[in-house]
Amino acid sequence: MPENLDTKGIVRHVAEVIIGELKLEDVTPDTFNPEMDLVDELGIDSMDLATLALVLQDEYKIVIDEDDYPKLKTIRLIADYVKEKLVAKG
Amino acid sequence: MTTDPKGSFGPIKPKFCELLAHPEVKARWEKVRKYFFLRESTYDMSNRCNIRCDGCYYFEGEKQFAREIDDVDAWRRLMRAEKARGITYVVLAGAEPSLVPQLLKVCYEEMPLGSIATNGFKKIPESVGYKIHISVWGNDETSLRIRKAKNLLKEQIKNYKNDPRAVFVYTFTRENIDEVNEVAEQLVTHGCKLTFNVFSSPVGYAGPLRHDDESLQRTKQRMIALLNQYPQQTLFSVYNAVAHTHQKGLHDLYKCSYPRQNPSQDIGLGRSFRQYRADLNWDRAVACCVPDTDCGDCRHYAAGSAVVTARLYGHVNNLASFKSWLDYVDTYLAVWVMGYEKGENLCNEPIKPPRVAGD
Repeated sequence: MPENLDTKGIVRHVAEVIIGELKLEDVTPDTFNPEMDLVDELGIDSMDLATLALVLQDEYKIVIDEDDYPKLKTIRLIADYVKEKLVAKG
Repeated sequence: MTTDPKGSFGPIKPKFCELLAHPEVKARWEKVRKYFFLRESTYDMSNRCNIRCDGCYYFEGEKQFAREIDDVDAWRRLMRAEKARGITYVVLAGAEPSLVPQLLKVCYEEMPLGSIATNGFKKIPESVGYKIHISVWGNDETSLRIRKAKNLLKEQIKNYKNDPRAVFVYTFTRENIDEVNEVAEQLVTHGCKLTFNVFSSPVGYAGPLRHDDESLQRTKQRMIALLNQYPQQTLFSVYNAVAHTHQKGLHDLYKCSYPRQNPSQDIGLGRSFRQYRADLNWDRAVACCVPDTDCGDCRHYAAGSAVVTARLYGHVNNLASFKSWLDYVDTYLAVWVMGYEKGENLCNEPIKPPRVAGD
C-alpha cells in the first residue's frame, strides 16, 4: 500500500497511477490538475476508468464498486473516495 | 484459484495484479487495451435495400420512414461533428449501405475506423477500408426462402473471398442451425473469415426464426464445434458462445449500456453513443446498436461487442473469467477493426457469465 495516506498523498499517487496506466507524456504528478474533469477534459472513458479502479483497489486494498465509477470524475474526487473507503475500513 | 485465508468460505477475488502476473494474460491485456480509445456510433445510410428479409431490423419501427439524405457534404459535416465530440469508430448499417458508395467513401475519408453491415450482394469499393460484415442467414435455399435472394451465398463469396475487410456473419435462427456446417465449409474453402450472430427478435416478432431454449443449446454446440474445427478462420471464442446463447439475453446478463436501456449520461455508451437514422437525426430514447430489437431477446453480436466488453469489472473474479473476457474482447476487435489479428483463445472452458455465476 502507498505510504502516504493523507489526502495530498493520495492525490499525488492517483495522479501517478493515471499517468502510468494511460501512458500520459505531457503531464507529471506535480503538474496534473486534481480538479481536471477526466472524462470531459482528458477524454478517458469507461474502460480506462475501470482499469484505474482495479489498480487503485489493489494498491489501497479497498473495493471500488462499479456503480461508483461515474462519481470518480477528477483526481480530487477519486482521492476523496479512496480516503473515505480507507477510513471506513479502519 | 485463491482461497479465503481465513478459512472455509470458498474462493476470494484475486487482485487484478495477480491476474496480470500470468504472462499470457498480461500480453493479451496489453494487446487489447490499446483499443480502449474506440468510441462508436451507428448510422443508417439509406432507407433502401436490394433484398427484403424476414425479421429485418431496419424495416421495423419508425426509422424506416426517415427521409434519405444523400448529400455528401451533409455527411461530411456530420462525420466531422462526430469526430469533434469524440467518436472514433463508425458502424454504417441500414438499410443497405452498398447502395450509397459515395457516402461510404466520405465517411471513410473523415473517420478511418469503422465497419459496414451489408448483405454482400453488391461489392463495396476497395477504396473504402472499413471492416465489412456480410450477413449470412443459411444456405442458398434458405436465403431464397427468407431473404428472397437467389444464389446469395455464391454472390457474397464471389464479391468478398480473400478480401481482408470481410467477415461473414452467420446468424443462427431457430431454423438454420443444421445448415451452418455446409455454409462454413464453403466459406472456409474460399478463404473467408467467419463469425456468429444469434437471431434476436424485433419487437413483436413471434415467427419461426425466434429461438427457444433448445435451439439456443444446439446453437452453442454448433458454434463451439465449428470453432474447434476451423480455429484459424472462425473469429469466436467459447465465451462468445456462452454469452450469446444463454437462456437469458444480453441485457439480463450484462445490463445493456446503450442509451435505450441506460439513463446515465455520465460516461461510456450512455454518454457518447448515438444511432443516426438516414435523415441524420437521432433519438436517445431508442438509441442502440440494433434498434427495434426486443431487448429481452437480444443476443445480437453487435450488442455483445459493446455490452460484454464494457463489463471488465465483472470478469476479474477469477483467472478463467478474466481469460474468457479477454478472448471475447480479442474476438470483438478482430471482427470490428481492420488490421487487428485475433490471437489463440486463452480459455476453452465454458464459464458462467458473472451475473448468473452466483445464481
